[in-house]
Amino acid sequence: MSEDVRFLHSGILSPIKKWGTKWSLWPVHLVTACCGVELAHAYACGYDAERIGSLNYGICRQTNLIIVEGAITRKMAKVLRITWEQMPNPKFVIVMGACGLKGGLFWNSYHMVKPSDVVPVDFFVPGCPPTPEALIRAIVQLQEKIVTGEAKNSVEFKEVDLGKLLGVAEEVKPKKPPKSPKKVEAKPEIVIDKARDVEWKLGKKLVEEFEKILTAESITITDVNRICVRVKRKNLISVVSKLAKKFDHVKSVNVIDVPHENKFIVEFWLGCYSNKELMPVLVNVATEVPRDDPKVPSIAGIFPSADYMEREMHELFGVWFEGNPWMGRNFLLDPDTPKYPLRKDFKLEEDRFVVEG
Amino acid sequence: MEEKEFALEVPVQPPQEFRSLFLPIPPEFVEEAYRKDEFVILVGPQHPGSGHMRLIVRVKGDVMTEVIPDPGYVHRAIEKLAETKLFIQNIPLVERPAIMDCANMSLGYVRAIEKAMDLEVPPRARFIRTILAELCRIGTHLYDAGILAVFIGHTTGFMWPFGLREYICEALCRITGARVTASFIIPGGIRRDVDEKTLRFVYAVTRTLEEKLKKFERIFVKNPAVIMRLKDVGVLDRKDAIRFGVVGPFLRASGVEYDVRKVEPYEAYDEIDFEIPVGDDGDSYSRFLVRVNEVMESLNIIRRAIKNIPEGPVVSEGIIGKLKDKEKVGKDVRGYFFRLFGRMTVPAGEYTTLTEAARGTLLYTLVSDGKSTVPYRLRVVTPGWAYLRGFMEACKGERLADLQAIYGSFGYFPPEADR
Repeated sequence: MSEDVRFLHSGILSPIKKWGTKWSLWPVHLVTACCGVELAHAYACGYDAERIGSLNYGICRQTNLIIVEGAITRKMAKVLRITWEQMPNPKFVIVMGACGLKGGLFWNSYHMVKPSDVVPVDFFVPGCPPTPEALIRAIVQLQEKIVTGEAKNSVEFKEVDLGKLLGVAEEVKPKKPPKSPKKVEAKPEIVIDKARDVEWKLGKKLVEEFEKILTAESITITDVNRICVRVKRKNLISVVSKLAKKFDHVKSVNVIDVPHENKFIVEFWLGCYSNKELMPVLVNVATEVPRDDPKVPSIAGIFPSADYMEREMHELFGVWFEGNPWMGRNFLLDPDTPKYPLRKDFKLEEDRFVVEG
Repeated sequence: MEEKEFALEVPVQPPQEFRSLFLPIPPEFVEEAYRKDEFVILVGPQHPGSGHMRLIVRVKGDVMTEVIPDPGYVHRAIEKLAETKLFIQNIPLVERPAIMDCANMSLGYVRAIEKAMDLEVPPRARFIRTILAELCRIGTHLYDAGILAVFIGHTTGFMWPFGLREYICEALCRITGARVTASFIIPGGIRRDVDEKTLRFVYAVTRTLEEKLKKFERIFVKNPAVIMRLKDVGVLDRKDAIRFGVVGPFLRASGVEYDVRKVEPYEAYDEIDFEIPVGDDGDSYSRFLVRVNEVMESLNIIRRAIKNIPEGPVVSEGIIGKLKDKEKVGKDVRGYFFRLFGRMTVPAGEYTTLTEAARGTLLYTLVSDGKSTVPYRLRVVTPGWAYLRGFMEACKGERLADLQAIYGSFGYFPPEADR
């Protein structure tokens, strides 16, 4: 530290510098997750955080405050660090939301990190999401810290002796933790085409028509406006290209992992925009592939709308869509994330019930 | 004069940042672009919009020839976490992708459970759900309008919608108790009844919003500067919009009359008379206008729903079963929550619901095995994820300076898209 900088920090003029910093806390625009909604409210006309000298600003090189809005993912953690490194000193970090504190609702997610592991944090604002008032209180608290040099809680709670207050005997019987209502069947049977008896004329007509033209294993009406077409893997492309004459986009690509039967069920949900009569109908083209050779022909050539969803399913399940040029590369996930996290054999940490005292 | 040809050796190695920033594109893509005298530009992840994603833009001069998205900065693994939580615990979870649109997000999931269990929802609950869904739709459209204003550098245009959103937050707060994350809709109905006074307040809010929105229209919607920025920018014609599976107001802006509320009516939408605004230009301004008109239509829906709201219980008989104080629980399930929903199982099978969330069609596929108290698999396709491809296609052929306008006009919200 040079002589000039030391003079600025602790010299005779340092109160002026602190005063200046206090009233110009500019957070960089780093909306990391959904708490951004309440941050925007804090800076809009309803709560107007600008009146205490704080103003949201787009470029990190001219700002001195990061407000981390909720969840930090593995991918975002690098960005957070790079942004923090780019900012000039003195710089501060406020973390908003339960996700930033200890993970919140997403505490056992495979793609989350704690912001306090990435950057030094000055204040946490708990809540899911915290209200704009809570965020503004954190900024005021930070202003106080700049002047006095010590970080304080904005609220101090008094400790109350409940036993005395309610007149309960001091000795409490040891409690057993309640039994978790969670029940997970070990090897369930997965049915995706349970037939349902419904009044649906168009459906019956469509099924008859499909039975003539498609080489399918079974065609079932699972509900009003829902048809399930089960096909063999080798027939998938021919069936889809025949359906492409009627249906024009893919609404969803889904994979269901059934490890105890050693198979993936791959589903393509087709929908229609151009024909008014077919608009509500969803056709599910499902095929089963063995888990040790999970290769499915890609339908992105026929339906470009399936492209990104195929990439996503490849990344989460490891199903290889033959013909999609993106296979083998990351799209959504960070390179450090464990491989194929949505498979059933990748287990997350389970919640436990602990009774204290 | 003799003509001579000279060739300059231009370095075509991808820069070092290519590796350190974990770009998902192959290095050959960058090399090929450099050879053709084009540039590869990274937009984001830290950019002045809402939520974060990286756009890898290839430009020739200042015209974008290709845009590759790098999403996943807010991927919080909702599909995996849903497999570790009880059916009822998943309601707050599925709301988190888009908390300003909380009612619509949980509505789709709850309807999948109701479909599986064949639950009949009482008419009063259906009307209150409709009111909540429309309030959230207005809130989300206002939010997106504010973000669009930030993108094109119009600060007043940001302040107005967020000021108006305070009314929506207040209305939600009075109905459900939370400003944004309500978790109010439960299988078989809603948590508790809404009293006359609150409904009157919501009615008054719709009147005020209508008045204020007219002023907002003068300031922002019909502002010549805004029209210049958005008109004829990022055009997605009808054919392309269908081909790339665009959803919601962005599809309707391209002239396709598809709205799940009309096509496959749920809740009280088939009992209430309303229209769906459709544009036909498919440009950024049309995408914005469709949503402005939708806000007006939503205000009408809320007013009609409040006028015609029937009396009765708000929790389904199928859920309450043979409880002693049926009357009381039918109006308010507080205190009975664990008993009614804690050990809930859903019949085996696969159930798919479509919901018209504010930004478009929201799809839930719920796979249950019939014996567990957790879902076997929950597939969520949020509107943002569905129209991402269309958004990328709309950018092609436009100038780089218009990227922000197109981004804003799609209201792309990464937490929602990445789930």
